[in-house]
Amino acid sequence: MNEQVSSRLWTMRLGFGLLVLAILFLHLLPLQTGAGGLIWPNFVLCFGLAWSVRRPEFVPAVLLAVVFLMADLLLQRPPGLWAVLALIACEQMKGQSRGLRDASLASEFVSVAVWFVGIGIAYHRILALLLVERAPLVPALVQIVVTVLAYPLVVAITHGLLGVRKAAPNEMGSKGVRS
Amino acid sequence: MAKDSKDLDYAGPLRRLVLAVLVLILTGIFLLWLIDSPRVERFRAQVTDQIVPNLDWAMAPVTGTIYLARDFQSYRRIVEQNSEMRRELRQMQSWIEAALQLEQENARLLDLNNVRLDPRLTYITGVVLADSGSPFRQSVLLNVGARDGIVEGWATMDGIGLVGRVSGVAQNTSRVIMVTDASSRIPAVIQPSGQRAIVAGDNSAAPPIDFLENPDLVRPGDRVITSGDGGVFPAGLLLGQVAAAPGGRLRVRLAADYERLEFLRVLRHYGNEPVSDTTDVLDGSAPVQPTSDEAAELSEVTE
Repeated sequence: MNEQVSSRLWTMRLGFGLLVLAILFLHLLPLQTGAGGLIWPNFVLCFGLAWSVRRPEFVPAVLLAVVFLMADLLLQRPPGLWAVLALIACEQMKGQSRGLRDASLASEFVSVAVWFVGIGIAYHRILALLLVERAPLVPALVQIVVTVLAYPLVVAITHGLLGVRKAAPNEMGSKGVRS
Repeated sequence: MAKDSKDLDYAGPLRRLVLAVLVLILTGIFLLWLIDSPRVERFRAQVTDQIVPNLDWAMAPVTGTIYLARDFQSYRRIVEQNSEMRRELRQMQSWIEAALQLEQENARLLDLNNVRLDPRLTYITGVVLADSGSPFRQSVLLNVGARDGIVEGWATMDGIGLVGRVSGVAQNTSRVIMVTDASSRIPAVIQPSGQRAIVAGDNSAAPPIDFLENPDLVRPGDRVITSGDGGVFPAGLLLGQVAAAPGGRLRVRLAADYERLEFLRVLRHYGNEPVSDTTDVLDGSAPVQPTSDEAAELSEVTE
Protein backbone atom coordinates (compact mmCIF):
# COMPACT_ATOMS: atom_id res chain seq x y z
CA MET A 1 0.00 0.00 0.00
CA ASN A 2 2.72 2.41 1.02
CA GLU A 3 4.70 1.49 -2.06
CA GLN A 4 1.76 2.32 -4.31
CA VAL A 5 1.06 5.65 -2.65
CA SER A 6 4.70 6.63 -2.89
CA SER A 7 4.99 5.77 -6.57
CA ARG A 8 1.83 7.75 -7.30
CA LEU A 9 3.30 10.68 -5.37
CA TRP A 10 6.42 10.72 -7.52
CA THR A 11 4.45 10.17 -10.71
CA MET A 12 2.32 13.19 -9.95
CA ARG A 13 5.36 15.31 -9.11
CA LEU A 14 6.91 14.35 -12.41
CA GLY A 15 3.56 14.98 -14.05
CA PHE A 16 3.50 18.54 -12.72
CA GLY A 17 6.96 19.18 -14.14
CA LEU A 18 5.90 17.85 -17.54
CA LEU A 19 2.68 19.89 -17.43
CA VAL A 20 4.61 23.11 -16.89
CA LEU A 21 7.05 22.14 -19.63
CA ALA A 22 4.10 21.65 -21.99
CA ILE A 23 2.71 25.09 -21.09
CA LEU A 24 6.09 26.72 -21.70
CA PHE A 25 6.33 24.83 -24.97
CA LEU A 26 3.00 26.28 -26.12
CA HIS A 27 4.10 29.77 -25.09
CA LEU A 28 7.34 29.45 -27.02
CA LEU A 29 5.84 28.27 -30.31
CA PRO A 30 6.81 30.94 -32.84
CA LEU A 31 3.23 31.78 -33.79
CA GLN A 32 2.93 35.22 -32.30
CA THR A 33 5.94 37.08 -33.64
CA GLY A 34 4.04 40.29 -34.35
CA ALA A 35 3.46 42.86 -31.64
CA GLY A 36 0.10 43.54 -30.04
CA GLY A 37 -1.13 39.96 -29.93
CA LEU A 38 -3.32 38.21 -27.42
CA ILE A 39 -2.44 38.36 -23.75
CA TRP A 40 -2.49 34.86 -22.32
CA PRO A 41 -3.22 34.05 -18.69
CA ASN A 42 -0.34 32.96 -16.53
CA PHE A 43 -1.16 29.26 -16.67
CA VAL A 44 1.93 28.14 -14.77
CA LEU A 45 0.84 30.10 -11.71
CA CYS A 46 -2.78 28.94 -12.11
CA PHE A 47 -1.77 25.28 -12.10
CA GLY A 48 0.69 25.83 -9.27
CA LEU A 49 -2.03 27.32 -7.07
CA ALA A 50 -4.71 24.81 -8.09
CA TRP A 51 -2.41 21.89 -7.25
CA SER A 52 -1.24 23.55 -4.02
CA VAL A 53 -4.81 23.85 -2.81
CA ARG A 54 -5.71 20.30 -3.81
CA ARG A 55 -2.68 18.19 -3.10
CA PRO A 56 0.15 20.13 -1.42
CA GLU A 57 2.25 16.97 -1.30
CA PHE A 58 2.31 16.72 -5.12
CA VAL A 59 3.98 20.12 -5.48
CA PRO A 60 6.77 20.43 -2.90
CA ALA A 61 8.31 23.86 -2.52
CA VAL A 62 11.54 22.83 -4.24
CA LEU A 63 9.68 21.64 -7.34
CA LEU A 64 7.63 24.85 -7.45
CA ALA A 65 10.74 27.00 -7.10
CA VAL A 66 12.57 25.18 -9.89
CA VAL A 67 9.55 25.31 -12.18
CA PHE A 68 8.86 29.01 -11.59
CA LEU A 69 12.50 29.94 -12.04
CA MET A 70 12.57 27.98 -15.30
CA ALA A 71 9.49 29.85 -16.50
CA ASP A 72 11.16 33.16 -15.62
CA LEU A 73 14.26 32.23 -17.57
CA LEU A 74 12.46 30.94 -20.65
CA LEU A 75 9.82 33.67 -20.84
CA GLN A 76 12.26 36.59 -20.65
CA ARG A 77 11.19 37.88 -17.26
CA PRO A 78 13.64 39.25 -14.70
CA PRO A 79 14.75 35.94 -13.18
CA GLY A 80 13.77 35.19 -9.61
CA LEU A 81 11.30 37.93 -8.69
CA TRP A 82 8.14 36.45 -10.14
CA ALA A 83 9.31 33.02 -8.96
CA VAL A 84 9.70 34.13 -5.36
CA LEU A 85 6.29 35.85 -5.31
CA ALA A 86 4.56 32.85 -6.89
CA LEU A 87 6.31 30.49 -4.49
CA ILE A 88 5.13 32.50 -1.48
CA ALA A 89 1.58 32.56 -2.85
CA CYS A 90 1.57 28.79 -3.39
CA GLU A 91 2.99 28.08 0.07
CA GLN A 92 0.38 30.32 1.69
CA MET A 93 -2.38 28.52 -0.21
CA LYS A 94 -0.93 25.22 0.98
CA GLY A 95 -1.24 26.52 4.51
CA GLN A 96 -4.89 27.25 3.91
CA SER A 97 -5.54 24.06 1.98
CA ARG A 98 -6.80 22.14 5.01
CA GLY A 99 -9.28 24.93 5.76
CA LEU A 100 -10.33 25.05 2.12
CA ARG A 101 -10.84 21.32 1.84
CA ASP A 102 -14.53 21.50 2.57
CA ALA A 103 -14.99 25.01 1.20
CA SER A 104 -16.81 25.68 -2.02
CA LEU A 105 -15.05 26.58 -5.24
CA ALA A 106 -16.24 30.16 -4.78
CA SER A 107 -14.36 30.77 -1.56
CA GLU A 108 -11.26 29.10 -2.98
CA PHE A 109 -11.62 31.30 -6.05
CA VAL A 110 -11.80 34.44 -3.92
CA SER A 111 -8.70 33.68 -1.89
CA VAL A 112 -6.77 32.68 -5.01
CA ALA A 113 -7.90 35.84 -6.81
CA VAL A 114 -6.60 37.93 -3.93
CA TRP A 115 -3.20 36.30 -4.37
CA PHE A 116 -3.21 36.79 -8.13
CA VAL A 117 -3.94 40.48 -7.79
CA GLY A 118 -1.62 40.89 -4.82
CA ILE A 119 1.48 39.38 -6.36
CA GLY A 120 0.68 40.87 -9.77
CA ILE A 121 0.66 44.37 -8.34
CA ALA A 122 3.59 43.68 -6.00
CA TYR A 123 5.63 42.46 -8.98
CA HIS A 124 4.86 45.58 -10.96
CA ARG A 125 5.55 47.91 -8.03
CA ILE A 126 8.86 46.27 -7.14
CA LEU A 127 10.07 46.53 -10.73
CA ALA A 128 8.97 50.17 -10.83
CA LEU A 129 10.74 50.87 -7.56
CA LEU A 130 13.97 49.33 -8.83
CA LEU A 131 13.63 51.18 -12.16
CA VAL A 132 13.64 47.94 -14.10
CA GLU A 133 12.02 48.08 -17.48
CA ARG A 134 8.60 46.47 -17.19
CA ALA A 135 5.39 45.84 -19.07
CA PRO A 136 3.05 48.84 -19.32
CA LEU A 137 0.44 48.96 -16.58
CA VAL A 138 -2.73 48.35 -18.60
CA PRO A 139 -1.66 45.10 -20.31
CA ALA A 140 -0.23 43.91 -16.99
CA LEU A 141 -3.62 44.48 -15.34
CA VAL A 142 -5.33 42.75 -18.26
CA GLN A 143 -3.08 39.77 -17.70
CA ILE A 144 -4.01 39.64 -14.00
CA VAL A 145 -7.71 39.73 -14.90
CA VAL A 146 -7.50 37.00 -17.55
CA THR A 147 -5.43 34.88 -15.16
CA VAL A 148 -8.13 35.19 -12.51
CA LEU A 149 -10.78 34.31 -15.10
CA ALA A 150 -8.78 31.33 -16.32
CA TYR A 151 -8.54 29.85 -12.83
CA PRO A 152 -11.91 27.98 -12.85
CA LEU A 153 -10.94 26.45 -16.20
CA VAL A 154 -7.61 25.35 -14.77
CA VAL A 155 -9.40 23.88 -11.75
CA ALA A 156 -11.71 21.97 -14.10
CA ILE A 157 -8.74 20.56 -16.02
CA THR A 158 -6.91 19.72 -12.80
CA HIS A 159 -9.95 18.03 -11.33
CA GLY A 160 -11.36 16.36 -14.41
CA LEU A 161 -8.52 15.55 -16.78
CA LEU A 162 -5.57 15.23 -14.45
CA GLY A 163 -7.47 13.66 -11.57
CA VAL A 164 -5.90 15.85 -8.90
CA ARG A 165 -8.66 16.18 -6.31
CA LYS A 166 -8.81 17.32 -2.77
CA ALA A 167 -7.91 14.54 -0.37
CA ALA A 168 -10.84 12.97 1.42
CA PRO A 169 -10.57 13.33 5.21
CA ASN A 170 -9.92 9.61 5.71
CA GLU A 171 -7.31 9.48 2.98
CA MET A 172 -4.23 10.23 5.03
CA GLY A 173 -1.94 7.60 3.56
CA SER A 174 -0.27 9.88 1.10
CA LYS A 175 0.38 12.45 3.80
CA GLY A 176 1.99 9.81 5.93
CA VAL A 177 4.73 9.01 3.46
CA ARG A 178 5.55 12.56 2.54
CA SER A 179 9.28 12.87 2.52
CA MET B 1 -6.01 31.58 10.16
CA ALA B 2 -4.42 30.97 13.56
CA LYS B 3 -5.38 27.33 13.31
CA ASP B 4 -3.76 27.12 9.90
CA SER B 5 -0.45 28.50 11.04
CA LYS B 6 -0.49 26.04 13.94
CA ASP B 7 -0.99 23.28 11.38
CA LEU B 8 2.03 24.51 9.52
CA ASP B 9 4.04 24.40 12.75
CA TYR B 10 3.10 20.80 13.20
CA ALA B 11 3.83 20.14 9.53
CA GLY B 12 7.46 20.65 10.32
CA PRO B 13 10.00 23.34 10.86
CA LEU B 14 12.04 21.61 8.17
CA ARG B 15 9.53 22.68 5.55
CA ARG B 16 9.70 26.26 6.72
CA LEU B 17 13.46 26.13 6.61
CA VAL B 18 13.38 24.79 3.05
CA LEU B 19 10.96 27.53 2.06
CA ALA B 20 13.12 30.21 3.65
CA VAL B 21 16.20 28.91 1.85
CA LEU B 22 14.34 28.80 -1.48
CA VAL B 23 13.06 32.35 -1.02
CA LEU B 24 16.58 33.51 -0.22
CA ILE B 25 18.02 31.75 -3.27
CA LEU B 26 15.41 33.18 -5.65
CA THR B 27 15.73 36.68 -4.20
CA GLY B 28 19.48 36.30 -4.48
CA ILE B 29 19.18 35.40 -8.17
CA PHE B 30 17.02 38.45 -8.74
CA LEU B 31 19.45 40.74 -6.90
CA LEU B 32 22.34 39.23 -8.83
CA TRP B 33 20.44 39.98 -12.03
CA LEU B 34 19.99 43.59 -10.90
CA ILE B 35 23.67 43.98 -10.10
CA ASP B 36 25.31 41.94 -12.83
CA SER B 37 22.70 41.65 -15.52
CA PRO B 38 24.99 40.51 -18.39
CA ARG B 39 26.24 37.50 -16.46
CA VAL B 40 22.73 36.31 -15.56
CA GLU B 41 21.51 37.00 -19.10
CA ARG B 42 24.36 34.86 -20.41
CA PHE B 43 23.22 32.13 -18.03
CA ARG B 44 19.67 32.56 -19.33
CA ALA B 45 20.89 32.25 -22.91
CA GLN B 46 22.72 29.04 -22.00
CA VAL B 47 19.63 27.57 -20.33
CA THR B 48 17.55 28.45 -23.38
CA ASP B 49 20.26 26.99 -25.57
CA GLN B 50 20.03 23.70 -23.69
CA ILE B 51 16.26 23.45 -23.70
CA VAL B 52 14.69 25.02 -26.76
CA PRO B 53 16.66 23.27 -29.56
CA ASN B 54 15.74 19.97 -27.91
CA LEU B 55 12.06 20.84 -28.21
CA ASP B 56 12.41 21.64 -31.89
CA TRP B 57 11.40 18.17 -33.07
CA ALA B 58 8.01 18.75 -31.43
CA MET B 59 7.73 22.46 -32.16
CA ALA B 60 8.27 22.20 -35.91
CA PRO B 61 5.29 19.89 -36.64
CA VAL B 62 2.94 21.78 -34.30
CA THR B 63 3.88 25.13 -35.81
CA GLY B 64 3.57 23.68 -39.29
CA THR B 65 0.11 22.31 -38.60
CA ILE B 66 -1.12 25.63 -37.23
CA TYR B 67 0.32 27.49 -40.21
CA LEU B 68 -1.48 25.02 -42.46
CA ALA B 69 -4.78 25.71 -40.73
CA ARG B 70 -4.24 29.46 -41.06
CA ASP B 71 -3.39 29.07 -44.73
CA PHE B 72 -6.56 27.10 -45.21
CA GLN B 73 -8.56 29.95 -43.74
CA SER B 74 -6.96 32.32 -46.20
CA TYR B 75 -7.95 30.06 -49.11
CA ARG B 76 -11.53 31.08 -48.55
CA ARG B 77 -10.67 34.58 -49.61
CA ILE B 78 -8.81 33.33 -52.64
CA VAL B 79 -10.90 35.01 -55.33
CA GLU B 80 -10.61 38.50 -53.96
CA GLN B 81 -6.93 37.95 -53.27
CA ASN B 82 -6.43 36.85 -56.84
CA SER B 83 -7.97 39.97 -58.33
CA GLU B 84 -6.04 42.10 -55.86
CA MET B 85 -2.82 40.47 -56.95
CA ARG B 86 -3.57 40.99 -60.64
CA ARG B 87 -4.00 44.67 -59.94
CA GLU B 88 -0.76 44.79 -57.99
CA LEU B 89 1.07 42.85 -60.66
CA ARG B 90 0.14 45.44 -63.28
CA GLN B 91 1.50 48.18 -61.04
CA MET B 92 4.63 46.17 -60.36
CA GLN B 93 5.40 45.74 -64.05
CA SER B 94 5.65 49.46 -64.52
CA TRP B 95 7.85 49.63 -61.44
CA ILE B 96 10.12 46.90 -62.78
CA GLU B 97 10.65 48.93 -65.92
CA ALA B 98 11.55 51.98 -63.87
CA ALA B 99 13.81 49.96 -61.59
CA LEU B 100 15.74 48.44 -64.48
CA GLN B 101 16.36 51.83 -66.00
CA LEU B 102 17.48 53.23 -62.68
CA GLU B 103 19.74 50.26 -62.08
CA GLN B 104 21.52 50.82 -65.38
CA GLU B 105 21.84 54.50 -64.74
CA ASN B 106 23.14 53.84 -61.26
CA ALA B 107 25.71 51.35 -62.50
CA ARG B 108 26.92 53.87 -65.06
CA LEU B 109 27.24 56.60 -62.44
CA LEU B 110 29.03 54.32 -59.99
CA ASP B 111 31.39 53.33 -62.74
CA LEU B 112 32.09 56.96 -63.57
CA ASN B 113 32.83 57.73 -59.94
CA ASN B 114 34.97 54.63 -59.48
CA VAL B 115 33.18 53.85 -56.24
CA ARG B 116 34.31 50.98 -54.06
CA LEU B 117 31.26 49.56 -52.34
CA ASP B 118 31.37 48.12 -48.85
CA PRO B 119 31.87 44.41 -49.54
CA ARG B 120 31.58 43.20 -45.98
CA LEU B 121 27.81 43.02 -45.62
CA THR B 122 27.33 39.30 -46.06
CA TYR B 123 24.74 37.40 -44.12
CA ILE B 124 23.89 34.16 -42.35
CA THR B 125 20.34 32.90 -42.52
CA GLY B 126 18.76 31.40 -39.42
CA VAL B 127 15.47 29.66 -38.72
CA VAL B 128 13.16 31.10 -36.08
CA LEU B 129 12.93 28.52 -33.30
CA ALA B 130 10.73 30.24 -30.75
CA ASP B 131 9.23 33.58 -29.88
CA SER B 132 9.58 35.36 -26.55
CA GLY B 133 6.60 33.53 -25.05
CA SER B 134 5.39 36.73 -23.42
CA PRO B 135 3.13 39.44 -24.83
CA PHE B 136 5.35 42.09 -23.25
CA ARG B 137 8.62 41.15 -24.91
CA GLN B 138 9.16 41.15 -28.65
CA SER B 139 11.98 38.81 -29.47
CA VAL B 140 12.65 35.59 -31.33
CA LEU B 141 15.17 32.82 -30.94
CA LEU B 142 17.26 31.81 -33.97
CA ASN B 143 18.98 28.49 -34.51
CA VAL B 144 22.33 30.10 -35.25
CA GLY B 145 24.71 31.09 -32.50
CA ALA B 146 28.34 31.56 -31.51
CA ARG B 147 29.11 28.33 -33.36
CA ASP B 148 28.13 30.09 -36.60
CA GLY B 149 30.08 33.20 -35.72
CA ILE B 150 27.14 35.34 -34.64
CA VAL B 151 28.21 38.40 -32.68
CA GLU B 152 26.03 40.37 -30.31
CA GLY B 153 24.66 43.58 -31.82
CA TRP B 154 24.43 42.45 -35.43
CA ALA B 155 21.38 43.51 -37.41
CA THR B 156 18.83 41.00 -38.66
CA MET B 157 16.46 41.39 -41.59
CA ASP B 158 13.84 39.35 -43.30
CA GLY B 159 14.06 39.61 -47.08
CA ILE B 160 13.01 43.26 -47.13
CA GLY B 161 13.23 45.19 -43.91
CA LEU B 162 15.11 45.38 -40.65
CA VAL B 163 13.71 43.09 -37.96
CA GLY B 164 15.96 43.64 -34.97
CA ARG B 165 19.26 43.31 -33.25
CA VAL B 166 21.02 40.22 -31.93
CA SER B 167 21.09 40.36 -28.16
CA GLY B 168 22.23 37.29 -26.31
CA VAL B 169 24.28 34.67 -28.13
CA ALA B 170 24.70 31.12 -26.90
CA GLN B 171 26.53 28.25 -28.55
CA ASN B 172 23.70 27.12 -30.84
CA THR B 173 21.07 29.82 -30.52
CA SER B 174 20.83 33.58 -30.46
CA ARG B 175 18.07 35.93 -29.43
CA VAL B 176 16.91 38.78 -31.65
CA ILE B 177 15.29 41.77 -29.93
CA MET B 178 12.84 43.13 -32.48
CA VAL B 179 12.37 46.75 -33.46
CA THR B 180 8.94 46.66 -31.82
CA ASP B 181 10.29 45.69 -28.38
CA ALA B 182 10.02 48.38 -25.71
CA SER B 183 13.79 48.34 -25.18
CA SER B 184 14.66 48.88 -28.85
CA ARG B 185 16.01 52.25 -30.03
CA ILE B 186 17.18 52.51 -33.64
CA PRO B 187 18.82 55.65 -35.05
CA ALA B 188 17.17 56.33 -38.38
CA VAL B 189 17.13 58.73 -41.30
CA ILE B 190 13.91 59.70 -43.04
CA GLN B 191 14.28 60.04 -46.78
CA PRO B 192 13.99 62.18 -48.83
CA SER B 193 14.21 65.00 -46.27
CA GLY B 194 17.24 63.54 -44.51
CA GLN B 195 15.84 64.16 -41.04
CA ARG B 196 17.48 62.12 -38.29
CA ALA B 197 15.33 60.49 -35.64
CA ILE B 198 15.11 57.55 -33.27
CA VAL B 199 12.65 54.73 -33.89
CA ALA B 200 11.66 53.69 -30.39
CA GLY B 201 9.78 50.42 -29.92
CA ASP B 202 6.77 50.44 -27.61
CA ASN B 203 5.32 46.92 -27.95
CA SER B 204 2.97 48.03 -30.71
CA ALA B 205 3.10 46.88 -34.32
CA ALA B 206 4.13 50.34 -35.57
CA PRO B 207 6.87 51.94 -33.44
CA PRO B 208 6.75 55.75 -33.01
CA ILE B 209 9.40 58.14 -34.33
CA ASP B 210 11.11 60.10 -31.55
CA PHE B 211 13.49 63.05 -31.45
CA LEU B 212 12.51 64.31 -34.85
CA GLU B 213 13.98 67.74 -35.44
CA ASN B 214 11.44 69.13 -37.85
CA PRO B 215 8.27 67.11 -38.22
CA ASP B 216 6.98 69.47 -40.91
CA LEU B 217 9.50 68.12 -43.38
CA VAL B 218 8.29 64.57 -42.95
CA ARG B 219 5.26 63.26 -44.76
CA PRO B 220 3.46 59.94 -44.44
CA GLY B 221 4.89 57.53 -46.98
CA ASP B 222 8.50 58.71 -46.62
CA ARG B 223 11.07 55.93 -46.34
CA VAL B 224 12.71 55.30 -43.00
CA ILE B 225 16.17 53.73 -43.11
CA THR B 226 18.84 53.13 -40.49
CA SER B 227 21.36 55.95 -40.20
CA GLY B 228 24.25 53.92 -38.83
CA ASP B 229 24.75 56.45 -36.03
CA GLY B 230 26.23 54.88 -32.96
CA GLY B 231 28.04 52.31 -35.03
CA VAL B 232 25.85 49.36 -34.03
CA PHE B 233 23.99 48.99 -37.30
CA PRO B 234 25.18 49.42 -40.84
CA ALA B 235 23.61 52.43 -42.50
CA GLY B 236 20.93 52.18 -45.15
CA LEU B 237 18.86 49.22 -44.01
CA LEU B 238 15.18 49.71 -44.77
CA LEU B 239 12.94 50.02 -41.70
CA GLY B 240 9.66 50.98 -43.31
CA GLN B 241 7.48 53.92 -44.19
CA VAL B 242 6.28 56.86 -42.17
CA ALA B 243 2.62 56.68 -41.19
CA ALA B 244 0.62 59.27 -39.26
CA ALA B 245 -1.15 57.79 -36.25
CA PRO B 246 -4.62 59.16 -35.39
CA GLY B 247 -3.14 61.10 -32.45
CA GLY B 248 -0.95 63.06 -34.84
CA ARG B 249 2.14 61.13 -33.81
CA LEU B 250 4.39 59.80 -36.55
CA ARG B 251 4.98 56.09 -36.58
CA VAL B 252 6.83 53.64 -38.78
CA ARG B 253 4.90 51.06 -40.73
CA LEU B 254 7.54 48.36 -40.75
CA ALA B 255 8.57 46.81 -44.03
CA ALA B 256 9.39 43.39 -42.59
CA ASP B 257 6.49 40.96 -42.27
CA TYR B 258 6.36 40.43 -38.51
CA GLU B 259 3.28 38.27 -38.52
CA ARG B 260 5.11 35.32 -39.89
CA LEU B 261 8.82 35.29 -39.29
CA GLU B 262 10.28 31.97 -40.32
CA PHE B 263 13.75 32.83 -41.54
CA LEU B 264 15.94 35.78 -40.64
CA ARG B 265 19.14 37.08 -42.17
CA VAL B 266 21.83 38.08 -39.71
CA LEU B 267 24.07 40.68 -41.37
CA ARG B 268 27.76 40.34 -40.62
CA HIS B 269 28.92 43.79 -39.66
CA TYR B 270 32.31 44.64 -38.27
CA GLY B 271 31.67 48.29 -37.47
CA ASN B 272 32.03 51.46 -39.47
CA GLU B 273 35.60 52.59 -39.93
CA PRO B 274 36.10 55.85 -38.04
CA VAL B 275 37.54 58.70 -40.09
CA SER B 276 40.53 59.77 -38.06
CA ASP B 277 43.11 60.92 -40.59
CA THR B 278 42.00 63.85 -42.70
CA THR B 279 45.34 65.47 -43.52
CA ASP B 280 45.63 63.57 -46.79
CA VAL B 281 42.40 65.06 -47.94
CA LEU B 282 43.33 68.56 -46.84
CA ASP B 283 46.70 68.89 -48.52
CA GLY B 284 45.45 67.14 -51.62
CA SER B 285 48.50 64.95 -52.05
CA ALA B 286 46.54 61.70 -51.99
CA PRO B 287 43.58 60.70 -54.09
CA VAL B 288 40.32 61.16 -52.24
CA GLN B 289 38.93 57.85 -51.07
CA PRO B 290 35.32 57.58 -50.09
CA THR B 291 35.00 56.95 -46.37
CA SER B 292 33.07 53.92 -45.31
CA ASP B 293 30.11 56.10 -44.37
CA GLU B 294 29.92 57.50 -47.85
CA ALA B 295 30.40 54.07 -49.29
CA ALA B 296 27.57 52.76 -47.18
CA GLU B 297 25.35 55.56 -48.30
CA LEU B 298 26.23 54.88 -51.90
CA SER B 299 25.54 51.20 -51.41
CA GLU B 300 22.12 52.12 -50.17
CA VAL B 301 21.55 54.01 -53.39
CA THR B 302 22.35 50.93 -55.38
CA GLU B 303 19.95 48.72 -53.43
